[in-house]
Amino acid sequence: MKQFILFLLKIAAVLVLTMILLDVAYTAVYLQSNRRSKIDYLYNSKNQNYDVVFLGSSRVNNHFVPKLFKEQGYKTFNFGITRSRLEESALMLKLMVERNYKIKNLILQVDLNINTNDHSEDIRSLFMPYLHQSEIIRAHYKDIPEYHELLYVPFYRYMHYDARVGFREMFLSLLHKKTNVLDNDGFYPLQSIEGKMVPADLSKYYPKRNVAYEEIRAICKKQHINLIALTTPMCMSTINRDYFKHIREVYPEIYNFENAVTEDKYFATCGHMNQAGAEFFTKVVFNAFFKPKTKS
Amino acid sequence: MFFNSLHFAIFLPIVFILYWFVGHKSKINQNYILIVASYYFYSCWDWRFLFLLIFSTLLDFSCAIKIEQSNTPAARKLWLWLCLTVNVGFLGVFKYYNFFAESFTALLGSMGLHTNPLLLDVILPVGISFYTFHGLSYIIDIYYGRIKSEKNFVDYSLFVCYFPLLVAGPIERATHLLPQVKKRRKFNFNKAKEGIYQIIWGLVKKVVIADSCANYANDIFDHYNVMNSYSLLLGAVYFAFQIYGDFSGYSDIALGTSKLFGIDLLRNFNYPYFSRDIAEFWRKWHISLTTWFRDYLYIPLGGSKGSKASIVRNTFIIFLVSGFWHGANWTYIAWGLINALYFLPLLLLNRNRNHVGDFTLGFNLKSLQTLFNILTTFAITCLAWIFFRSKTITDALEYCKRMFTNGEFTQQYFTIGRYNYELIMLVVLFAIVEWNSRTKIEPISGKYSWLKLSLCLAALLALGVFSDYKEFIYFQF
Repeated sequence: MKQFILFLLKIAAVLVLTMILLDVAYTAVYLQSNRRSKIDYLYNSKNQNYDVVFLGSSRVNNHFVPKLFKEQGYKTFNFGITRSRLEESALMLKLMVERNYKIKNLILQVDLNINTNDHSEDIRSLFMPYLHQSEIIRAHYKDIPEYHELLYVPFYRYMHYDARVGFREMFLSLLHKKTNVLDNDGFYPLQSIEGKMVPADLSKYYPKRNVAYEEIRAICKKQHINLIALTTPMCMSTINRDYFKHIREVYPEIYNFENAVTEDKYFATCGHMNQAGAEFFTKVVFNAFFKPKTKS
Repeated sequence: MFFNSLHFAIFLPIVFILYWFVGHKSKINQNYILIVASYYFYSCWDWRFLFLLIFSTLLDFSCAIKIEQSNTPAARKLWLWLCLTVNVGFLGVFKYYNFFAESFTALLGSMGLHTNPLLLDVILPVGISFYTFHGLSYIIDIYYGRIKSEKNFVDYSLFVCYFPLLVAGPIERATHLLPQVKKRRKFNFNKAKEGIYQIIWGLVKKVVIADSCANYANDIFDHYNVMNSYSLLLGAVYFAFQIYGDFSGYSDIALGTSKLFGIDLLRNFNYPYFSRDIAEFWRKWHISLTTWFRDYLYIPLGGSKGSKASIVRNTFIIFLVSGFWHGANWTYIAWGLINALYFLPLLLLNRNRNHVGDFTLGFNLKSLQTLFNILTTFAITCLAWIFFRSKTITDALEYCKRMFTNGEFTQQYFTIGRYNYELIMLVVLFAIVEWNSRTKIEPISGKYSWLKLSLCLAALLALGVFSDYKEFIYFQF
């Protein structure tokens, strides 16, 4: 039995050593990567100056065309990420401050995402490679239930979030394989899908006070960033469009733009505009808050 | 509690310590510890079904004694049929009742008689197909006088509920397992070490191979109508490796776990994808079920004795029953039928036992022929798996039709954010490892075992699927 216990201890030692080595290797790869996601691009960049930065979910990623701002002399980047919630947007803004970004205006999408204080596991996973390096990320996640395992058990974070930062992603990062998320300054255009528009159902949605939004608001105030929080368009057949009105009851400073685009031809799906819709909407937002710096 | 869960990783060491440090002095203590552990293990799924398991154990135990004590053949037969009816009745109610009710309603509907079937809202007790067959083999063996009935209820209970085999086999035989539980087990380092290797390799098969393949196979089968030929072909191959990795991985963990307690279980898989014909495949796939059907259904039906027609009939019966055993769905029956059809030419030409021995490959024509046979057998097996995996027979037929007619063999991007070809390397690598270790139980032991163990652990950590947890497929049967 002693021999067997010794054998098990050796296996445990090999296991721990393997976990440490894998953790070090994966982290080293992710620290070199800046072309695969908006998070790695953000983490591995410093001292950027932006006139306008966009934050939010796919309803930012697919709705704001930075090129149109650039044409008017504004340096912009669309940091919207599909499936991202306000919790992740808040952390992205904190990271921007930590990375010494100088931002004049922040356009933040606050509509469907204010229905919840929850987070997105998918997007949370993208921050995990930098957990040991970034005090900001550690502080942001210090209250989540698995925080200690993620921080102290080597390689646990890569196993726990293997779908997004596991072997495949590490391998592609190692090969410096580029994705299309950074193309068009972060804007991803959608194409219209043929067929009848399926209406979105917001009957179970109700805007609530949102911790992350209030955090973003406080950061902007402290960093002298002009925060433009707004709703973005949804197709007119959306069930319970009153939801958007209620948002202003909770946070009166939020601008209502859900009716800025109304025709179905501008939508790819009920919740997402196509490229033409995005361009139309970007111009509407630009004209509402900005003036051209350069003469076209 | 699944073998690849944290719960099991805590449970197993506790049972191991109690077994070898507290109960090691007597067989009774060892058996009591294993029974309590097994009942706890089973109750983690649903404690209510524990009563069913205990009832089934009591019934088989009592009937076996009654059969042995009966003085007349009629009385013996009565006790046998009572036991068979109750056991199969439970299986029928829990597993097949709704299927028969719906099929009967559909049949009536096709004749213009519309009825609403009375369906049962019950969940299938985990492992019922396995422990029922387990008990049946014991009763039938007693009836035919092959073994003596067990008089010690504790020993018999352990034979039925032993946790490594309780939920998905291997389907043990009383002649093999009972003698082991009737004596005190002494710790054997080499056996325990072998068990650990087998558990680790089983986990690699499950978490790395099966679960990775499952991600791709699920997406392909769920959206087969938009997949091209290449994706559909790969989907069938990925599912073949998923089900093999899943079930043989489970079996390896079960056998390895049992070795830690000094008990050997029956081998369930013997590298089936390296079979040279379908007959050899069925001698190497789910061996404990195949031999069960052979001994308790095929042979009583007449087996290979009698006319060619009766042999063919018997073969078709066991394949169809084997398919139906997997689940109450026409797809499983179709899968059994397809395998019977594959088997038919070998049977008619008396070539079903042509490939029984080991073989090696070299640089000669015979090896080329062997390789061709292996690949052909694998290909037709994959084709049959399409029916096993599909939700309906129509889906399976459409899948096959599209696979053969679409004609596009290009890369395709799936909704899971992966390309169709991405897993090929892993599957090929796994096949190479299996090929090189096909004369052993697992690939870790032997030369450079520490290096191989480290690589397995690294593969498990780095390539395993942890975020999208998947149950063992055979738990549903």
